[in-house]
Amino acid sequence: MSKINEVKAMVEAGKARLVPGLVQEALAEGNAAKDILQGMVDSMRVVGDLFSAGELFVPEMLMAAKAMSKGVEVLKPLFEDQSTSSLGTCIIGTVEGDLHDIGKNLVSMMIGSAGFDMVDLGVDVTPAKFVEAVKDNENVKIVACSGLLTTTMTKMQETVQALKASGLTGFEVIVGGAPVSAEYAASIGADGFAPDAGSAAVKAVELAKN
Amino acid sequence: MLTKKQNLLETIKGGNPDRFVKQYEFMHFIMEAPGGRFPQPGETIKNDWGITFKWPEGQLGGFPVHDDEHKVLKDITEWKKYVKAPVIPTSDEAWAAAIAHANTVDRNEEFVTLFVAPGVFEMTHHLMSMEDALMALYEEPEAMHELIDYLTEHELAYAKALIDHIHPDCIFHHDDWGSQKSSFISPAMFEEFFLPAYKKIYAFYKANGVELIVHHSDSYAANLVPFMIEMGVDIWQGVMTTNNTPELVKQYGSQISFMGDIDSGVVDFPAWTPEIVAKEVERACRNCGKLYFIPCLTQGGNWSSFPGVYDSTNEAIEKMTKEMF
Repeated sequence: MSKINEVKAMVEAGKARLVPGLVQEALAEGNAAKDILQGMVDSMRVVGDLFSAGELFVPEMLMAAKAMSKGVEVLKPLFEDQSTSSLGTCIIGTVEGDLHDIGKNLVSMMIGSAGFDMVDLGVDVTPAKFVEAVKDNENVKIVACSGLLTTTMTKMQETVQALKASGLTGFEVIVGGAPVSAEYAASIGADGFAPDAGSAAVKAVELAKN
Repeated sequence: MLTKKQNLLETIKGGNPDRFVKQYEFMHFIMEAPGGRFPQPGETIKNDWGITFKWPEGQLGGFPVHDDEHKVLKDITEWKKYVKAPVIPTSDEAWAAAIAHANTVDRNEEFVTLFVAPGVFEMTHHLMSMEDALMALYEEPEAMHELIDYLTEHELAYAKALIDHIHPDCIFHHDDWGSQKSSFISPAMFEEFFLPAYKKIYAFYKANGVELIVHHSDSYAANLVPFMIEMGVDIWQGVMTTNNTPELVKQYGSQISFMGDIDSGVVDFPAWTPEIVAKEVERACRNCGKLYFIPCLTQGGNWSSFPGVYDSTNEAIEKMTKEMF
């Protein structure tokens, strides 16, 4: 098995303690840093698919994301002063009035693993804060809004409307959370919807590449 | 006509109920018992474990706050340093109101019911955040076993106090084990970490006169039903439609009953209507049938978030009784 494949296998298995050493060995074997990174991104896609299919659960996804971040720490110095394979910036947050963060955090990890630079605004984020974050950050490609409560769905709508009315361009808005459906997402003017964290990453990549 | 209690027992024992059980009608809650503090709308409080809860005004519930400043358990390997179980009140004064209330209940008609929350799983993530708690199951399993044992011992001590003072007939026990689509952890992990705790807790209640264990988890948890049966749950309340409740009734009905199948998120929202409620109630009653099933909002209590929804659900259930019994 090549070292990159070993890295991939250990990311999928969530072995955070083993991945940094294997990444070093993969570099020593002559692999390019960007290829190792791509291998880890592919692994996280596998993890996301297995999560979507109900074959993996939240702890496994968290461990895989942690393993990947440990691997990325090793690669980071090699990417300094050169353009990485970043897909752009993703602003993420749970909408105003809603303090749920588990789903949002999972989505953040998966979108980050797919190659975006994440800006996590946390929970209870007002529409104005979302707009401000788009203004304050460079190369924003995706704004992801999360909400779990039926009562905060109206805030999700306000957020999408505020982003669309801001005059800012170059980004797409995706929404998700327990009460949100594809129909609801379309009805409030969102550009995309995903039913779970794995699918959210796929949707973010798809929209950013359009 | 059967009493509420008789009708419930006929329903969950596969006998001859004379009507659908109307949601929580068989439980008479004694909410005066000393226990955990919960925030009211608009409040931020710190409970007896030191966990900070915030309930934003106008929203549907309180949530633990887990930024660095507020997280109680900052390092699972040092849980003994951070986690201190609160003292369970023992004075007669502390229990007087609950005892007085329980004494007014006709126990032939209803079950004297105590509300216990949060459960052991929820306690782990209330103390340290969901991410930390779930990763600790992999990274520090020994410490997690120790913490879970500690939380279980506290629950058992609290259970003893409830039994000694109130002699409850029913325990309504909250512990959310999943999202709407999946259990939070795998069945294997649940079996290792949480099944032993719940076997102890529910066996203790059963051995001390509690007739009925109702466990609340408004989530997907179909993959955990065999464990619910093993730990002694009589009724799983909060079963969401994502579990395929009719199939669960068919597969496990003689061993456990299912209460829910009317997803609160679908009927209990600002623009709710009696028609939406009636449609969902009819679907649930027709698909799940008359035995081992109690039509109910998935919400964990005898109320609704928006005024009128709970009562409207009861009215729709009465209508289905007229049609199906």
